Amino acid sequence: MPRWFTRRIVPLVLAIALPTLAACTASSANTSASGTCTPAAVPTLTFAAYSTPREVYDAKIIPAFKAMWKDKTGVEPQFFESYTGSTTQAQNVVNGSGADVVALSLAPDIQTIADAGLITHDWTQAPDRGMVSSSVVVFDVRPGNPKGITDWNDLAQPGLGILTPDPAQSGGARWNLVSLWGSAMRGDVPGITKNDQAAATKLMNDVVGNVISFDSSARTSIQNFEGGNGDVAITYENEVKTADAAGLPDQAVYPKGSVLIENPVAVVDKNAEAHCVTDLANAFVDFLHTKEAKGYFTDTGYLRSTDPKLAQKGDPANGYPAIKDMFTVDDLGGWDQLDQTLFSDNGIATQAVANAG
Amino acid sequence: MSIAAQPIGSRNRLVGSPHRTVAVLRHIALRGAAFVYLGALVVLPVAAIITKGFGDGFSTFSHAMAVPGAWAAIRLTLVTATIVAAINAVMGTTLAWVIVRYRFPGRRVLSTIVDLPLAIPTLVWGVMILVLYGPNSVLGKAADALGVRVLFTPLAIVLALCTVTLPFVVRNVQPVLLELDEAEEEAAATLGATRRATFRRVVFPAIRSAVIAGTLLTFSRCLGEIGSVILVSGNRTGHTLTAPVFIFSLTSQFRFAEAAAVATFLFAISFVLVLATSRLTKRREVSE
Amino acid sequence: MSVAVGTQVAKARRGRRGLIALALVWVALLLLLPLAAIFWTVVRAGFSSVTHTLTQPDVLHAFQLTAIITVITVLVTGVFGVIVAWVLVRQRFHGRSLLNAMVDIPFALSPVTVGLAAVVLFGPGGWFQPFFAARGIQVIYALPAMILVTIFICIPFTIREVVPVLEEIGLDEEDASRTLGASVWHTFFKVTLPNIRWALAYGIALTTARAIGEIGAVLIVSGLIQGKTETATLFIYRAYEERQTAEAYVVALVLAAVSVGLLIVIEVLRHRQEKERTRT
Repeated sequence: MPRWFTRRIVPLVLAIALPTLAACTASSANTSASGTCTPAAVPTLTFAAYSTPREVYDAKIIPAFKAMWKDKTGVEPQFFESYTGSTTQAQNVVNGSGADVVALSLAPDIQTIADAGLITHDWTQAPDRGMVSSSVVVFDVRPGNPKGITDWNDLAQPGLGILTPDPAQSGGARWNLVSLWGSAMRGDVPGITKNDQAAATKLMNDVVGNVISFDSSARTSIQNFEGGNGDVAITYENEVKTADAAGLPDQAVYPKGSVLIENPVAVVDKNAEAHCVTDLANAFVDFLHTKEAKGYFTDTGYLRSTDPKLAQKGDPANGYPAIKDMFTVDDLGGWDQLDQTLFSDNGIATQAVANAG
Repeated sequence: MSIAAQPIGSRNRLVGSPHRTVAVLRHIALRGAAFVYLGALVVLPVAAIITKGFGDGFSTFSHAMAVPGAWAAIRLTLVTATIVAAINAVMGTTLAWVIVRYRFPGRRVLSTIVDLPLAIPTLVWGVMILVLYGPNSVLGKAADALGVRVLFTPLAIVLALCTVTLPFVVRNVQPVLLELDEAEEEAAATLGATRRATFRRVVFPAIRSAVIAGTLLTFSRCLGEIGSVILVSGNRTGHTLTAPVFIFSLTSQFRFAEAAAVATFLFAISFVLVLATSRLTKRREVSE
Repeated sequence: MSVAVGTQVAKARRGRRGLIALALVWVALLLLLPLAAIFWTVVRAGFSSVTHTLTQPDVLHAFQLTAIITVITVLVTGVFGVIVAWVLVRQRFHGRSLLNAMVDIPFALSPVTVGLAAVVLFGPGGWFQPFFAARGIQVIYALPAMILVTIFICIPFTIREVVPVLEEIGLDEEDASRTLGASVWHTFFKVTLPNIRWALAYGIALTTARAIGEIGAVLIVSGLIQGKTETATLFIYRAYEERQTAEAYVVALVLAAVSVGLLIVIEVLRHRQEKERTRT
């Protein structure tokens, strides 16, 4: 072999390859723990969530739970976290991303995972039907609300720039459009009479037609708004709260009506069993229903109440205004019917998105 | 110029027959390795996509292509790719010409910088465009004052694609220009041909296939590009949602058949172009 | 007459200046301004944000994962790339043009499609899913799939660089070595490899750049789990989403810096390759 080869290239390749291979075998050892169940010395929980609640889970709840678990068992568990659009996250779990616990934006996304056979228990039997946080749909506007936006009909004005995520990928986007639809059908929107489906469809088309970007998640959408794009972002109340907490000048406008957004959590029991962390996963989900965890949600702007009546009242003194007309998904006929009416291929929202632009 | 490599068998006759058997076996083993490597890593995924896209036949394919927004996304991708390929053909040739024919301070640096898009991750280009044309940046404000919105419009897509494909034409044309004999051009000029005519009659025919090859490569890269586009385009169906981003979105929704159908369609176009490019490059080498 | 020549020379000079200016403006607009913008943003945020970002465990893990994927990709595409190139140039057989076309496929396939193919092959209901599931090997949403898709995308680089050089050097030297009684391997390492080394190195540099920067395919097959399946580019994508723009910019700038270093290497290699080519 030529000298330049033996002297330079071979040592270089070895220097890079050996540690790499070591790292690979080390990392594959803790990922391929399926089959027989032997608890790891340091239990590891993979947690997959939708895009917006990072500020509460990553910064508050998970550290608190880790400390609690360490007090109880003497071992601090390790968490792997993943945050992305709710529907995308659900598909990733179905495809085998291996999450032990999921926290998603809306119930149908959990159902997708259950339908794939990965969640075998009735997750709605948990306290509050499995919901751990709740919110309402608001309009995030520029400081001082220069466009004078008060309700959905103002979003239909020609030339307005709206941001909302892609309903095919983001749970938040679907909440937004469900809220639009419910408000219109319940007669909450000025100029639209109750149960006038044609007028509600027109509102959907007009508002969606003003959207300048359908991003992949609620967070990307708000990020683009904060980057100075558009006049208004339709989003979760908690997104405006976390933005304000981050010192950004976001301002929330509350339309007359809003759907009660409820965010479910569930143990993906098939995965938890395979990874031998069922106890840990259950304990984590139980922890999310405790008063302590709810306190963290509230601090970060997520939790109105899981009781619709209390949620409607809000807490005006602490920055959670009352919602004049709060309705639930069940008030609109449930998710199955809404999916059919709005989000199927011929659904009103899908068509509006397809015709936008 | 290129020496047509002789088939291996002819020369092995010199060697004794046991050696010959070993040599033949070795060749077959290497050939087998090459086929297994490319077969497993390249053909298999493509087969998977096409099978998924067509499923039970053409009806599955056409049904899958009926998903809302599919044709709009494909059209947008074809249109932006055409625009970018055209821009790149002109600007790439100009850059190659300037780099090869002119001597000026910074020429070497310019020649190096042209390769930047090959080195820097495409997503990073996307992030940089977001920073550069964001509403709070100088350029963003200037564009705003002119009433031009860059981000989340087809303009952003074209900009991103122009950036990541910038080297393709340059790198194809540059070596050909280098080898071109300037004496012919001088002769044409002395015979009274204008510079434009010289370029059209003498230079262009020589670099034509290189320009076309680079342009085709640009085009097919544009059909597949996602990293630089996904953050800046805005993803509005029928307006700024490109086909690759659409495939990504469909995949995220678990709609594999639809995603595979759109992917197969794009792949068919792109593969023909890439093969054509390969052919052009080959012919050029042979003719030299 | 001399006046006419004079104006023509002046015209030519003007045209020349115009073209140079056009080229510089174009490159500045598309390449330098974006780089300057992100550099300036990071500098303005201050040095502390750089150190803060680069000491985060997630960031370090992301860089490590990118390095692992890149090294394995380079090794596989390097070794097999030379084999394929050698077979393509030195052997004549039925199906040679088929093999040649196979090499071009990755150029024609969108990275997203590659990711999709991996999900179709290894995801639930996939062709190979039962095989790997039975052996407890996680392919999709884990390192194996991320490496596979990256290799796929990088396959052509080495081959397309090495093939023309192998064609040009011809058989003479190799024949001479063999007739002098050297073994095949000896001939390969002593004669063939030194001849193709710069082309191979250039191919490896291109492969490295592409492997570091790959996003479309890994976005689909990684599952986006922080600290586990998150590469440097995926970190940028995620950090950007999570209002951690400072972190995103810092990591983007680090990748850009690494790439520029790589670019200089590429440039040097290209230079040497050209020099060697003109020598032969």
